[in-house]
Amino acid sequence: MVLAVLLDADGQWSHGYELARRADVKSGTLYPLLIRLEAQGHLEAEWQQPVEAGRPPRHAYRLTESGVQLARANPPVHPVTTAVRSRQATI
Amino acid sequence: MSIGLRRRLIDLACRALQATLPTPLQAWGWAIRCEAAAIPDDSKALLFTLGSLCGLMPRAVASRLLTIFASLVGDHVFRPEGSTIMNIVNAATRRPRALGIVCLTSAVLLGTAYMAIAGAPMRYLGVNLGALIIGFTLLLLLERAARAGQGWTDGANLLAAGALLATAFFGSQADGIARWVYWGGLAMQPSLILLPTMLVAFSRFRNVPATVSIVAAAVAMALQPDRAMAAMLLICLTALAVMRPDRHVCAALAASAASFAATLIRADRLPAVPYVDQILYTSFDLHAVAGLAVLGGLMLLVVPSVIGWRRAAQSRAIYVAFGAVWFAVTLAAALGNYPTPVVGYGGSAIIGYALSLLALPKFSSANALATAPKCGAIDEMPTDGPLSVVLA
Repeated sequence: MVLAVLLDADGQWSHGYELARRADVKSGTLYPLLIRLEAQGHLEAEWQQPVEAGRPPRHAYRLTESGVQLARANPPVHPVTTAVRSRQATI
Repeated sequence: MSIGLRRRLIDLACRALQATLPTPLQAWGWAIRCEAAAIPDDSKALLFTLGSLCGLMPRAVASRLLTIFASLVGDHVFRPEGSTIMNIVNAATRRPRALGIVCLTSAVLLGTAYMAIAGAPMRYLGVNLGALIIGFTLLLLLERAARAGQGWTDGANLLAAGALLATAFFGSQADGIARWVYWGGLAMQPSLILLPTMLVAFSRFRNVPATVSIVAAAVAMALQPDRAMAAMLLICLTALAVMRPDRHVCAALAASAASFAATLIRADRLPAVPYVDQILYTSFDLHAVAGLAVLGGLMLLVVPSVIGWRRAAQSRAIYVAFGAVWFAVTLAAALGNYPTPVVGYGGSAIIGYALSLLALPKFSSANALATAPKCGAIDEMPTDGPLSVVLA
């Protein structure tokens, strides 16, 4: 799911918290995955300066060309949207 | 929980993570810290931080431990990528001697457990552990001396063969069998200490002095007589003849066959000694755990050979010789009243095993590693120098 979310970003930079939320994974799952993807050259990371003064910089991520290929070659098996998941939870 | 407390916990968790993460991953610690700071909801920020901590801390701790382990066995054997377990496995399998040391230590400890369960005198346990320390000390000392070159090897081989012949003529006798020498109140079996190293060394480099040494050792085994050691010579040299047939191996094989035949003719009526002979069977009668300890310890002895065979195609003859030697000793112990190596009482086999590690390559070669499962870039491995085995 993380790869799919990064692919959906279409080359735009994403942040860790936002990624975890959109992919519906814990941060403890997300960061080891990001580290591995970056080590394998599938992920690009950069520090972005804060928009507001006094805020800390943020680490942002996007897929590299090989990452895009990897994500396309490995689509999520069951793309479950948040809406579907909440419906399942009520059944 | 107050807002201030939650933010302080976040800060604490982030600091702990940053302190633990290895240098290459430090940026990720900062990334999590900054990301948590950007989350407006304090509870969510705390959960986010604690989740990251749980996810990365095992990796960070493992990396720290790996660094310590690498400093002990050589950091170049580790790869930056790959799982921690695979890194440890790869490091061990790329260092045959280090792997042998681990196997020997484990086997001795398993043997000690067996003896403790069997109610052996505490002195026996102490002797085996003392032999392990002596073995490693000799390994350390002789490894340095071994770099002196081939001349040392030839001289040491001839000296060892002379010691085996001297044992046959002047050694301590029991029922007409002369296999032991007494030193410091302890009986030692020189053949079990010296022959394994001589054979593994012979599998690596063969010349006239080495062949003469092996032939002399075969004569000594026939004179002592020692059927188990003669069988070890025969099995190891047969394996070598299959893999690397040359005139040196053929001459040594012929001598070992004659030696073994001579030991078959001469009776060997020595009774089984408690905690030394026949323990492969008796340990299971005692307790399943004791039996498994003995069996596991014996299996560990050939692990360096099996892994070397799989990983270093061009050095297979050496690993086969190593495996054949310790398999033969184990087989002899299973079939007759001969010492059960390493796991039974007796320091000779322990010292002999430690010394035989000297004849193994220090590193598996890079060529062999090319066949290993791919999990990242492989560093160029240092090659082993010319064989330099020095015998005690």
